[in-house]
Amino acid sequence: MKRAAATMRRTVIDIATIVLGAALTAGLVHIVAILIIPFYASNDAFARLSNLGPIDATIMLPEAGSPAARLFPNLDPAVAAAFCRYDLTDGPVRVKAPVARYEFSSLSFHTRRGQIYYALTDRAATQNALEALVVTDKQLRAMSAHDSEDETPLELRIVSATNQGFVLMRAFSQEPSLLAEAQERVRALKCQPEPQPQPR
Amino acid sequence: MDVLAKTLIAGALGLAAGLWSAESALRLSRGAETTRIGAWSTAAKAGTPEADPYTRDTIERSGEIPLAPGEGLQLVARVDDSGTALNPHCVYRIGRKVPAARFWTIGVVDRRGFPIPNPAQRLVFRSSEILRDSDGGFAIAVSASAHAGNWLPIGVSEPFYLVLRLYDTPFSATATAIDKDALPRIVRESCR
Repeated sequence: MKRAAATMRRTVIDIATIVLGAALTAGLVHIVAILIIPFYASNDAFARLSNLGPIDATIMLPEAGSPAARLFPNLDPAVAAAFCRYDLTDGPVRVKAPVARYEFSSLSFHTRRGQIYYALTDRAATQNALEALVVTDKQLRAMSAHDSEDETPLELRIVSATNQGFVLMRAFSQEPSLLAEAQERVRALKCQPEPQPQPR
Repeated sequence: MDVLAKTLIAGALGLAAGLWSAESALRLSRGAETTRIGAWSTAAKAGTPEADPYTRDTIERSGEIPLAPGEGLQLVARVDDSGTALNPHCVYRIGRKVPAARFWTIGVVDRRGFPIPNPAQRLVFRSSEILRDSDGGFAIAVSASAHAGNWLPIGVSEPFYLVLRLYDTPFSATATAIDKDALPRIVRESCR
């Protein structure tokens, strides 16, 4: 009798230990999985955009509601969008986008990991265009070494945390019939690679 | 039972439970840091480096390209003003105003964020095209059957959400500052 009770107690303790260990492991696995997913997500926005065309090319995002747009949820059917992917390994990339007066357009800058690190709207346009130079930290330092100390450089330099990434341009259409016009505006987005700045 | 066997069993169970819980958390949640304002909710930090890991993972897996805080703000309503889930068998009236923004759109999407195709080809209403009353307010009817005035069609039985997108709005970085009364009300009128 006494022996049976002792065995029973051992079994209960065994099960309790296993449950406790499993719970601790589960918590750890959960946290680690949630934190590393962004680094292993092979089907994120950047990967999906990569399938649509080469680097530096301006590519229209499929129209919301079309079958091709099933890749990108939460697109606004009233907004036209085009993007270009960039790779800063061989030099900075100059982004130019003409904007129309009284019409909403915007540029957003995304890292390879899908983080938006900069955005500007047509309100920031000079001479009816948005222009920016996307650089790495190292390229920015090389360029700053050449800058004159008396004047601040006129161009907007934006540092991308990753060598690869993409720039997205959006344009709002005020009427359904004006969507084609908005598409024309985003089609004019240009991403041009520039020579690698040489450190002095 | 020896220690090795116990460790192996606990490890295997823990691994399975951990992966399952992570998967279901991402499938069910819409990010940890969503701000709820009345019937509407928004993940204002989505896409920014400040986003919480759950929001980040959800975005990565869905392929969504969120609006940047400088561009605008997206709000989603999955319930009506009384807190009841939106029902495709009902008629809803939405209005009469939205928070300050240069442009905005209100549309209907399915659970995954895609517009619901309809014969009327009406996926969204834009601030610049919507019919307004003399006081500048507006009302949108959301229903499966046709309505006079501003009508957003939905599928007869497909579950739907409402999406409000504000472009060039002072609230994009401070969504919590939006007053509940500044957002469109969602009132259920009748059900089949």
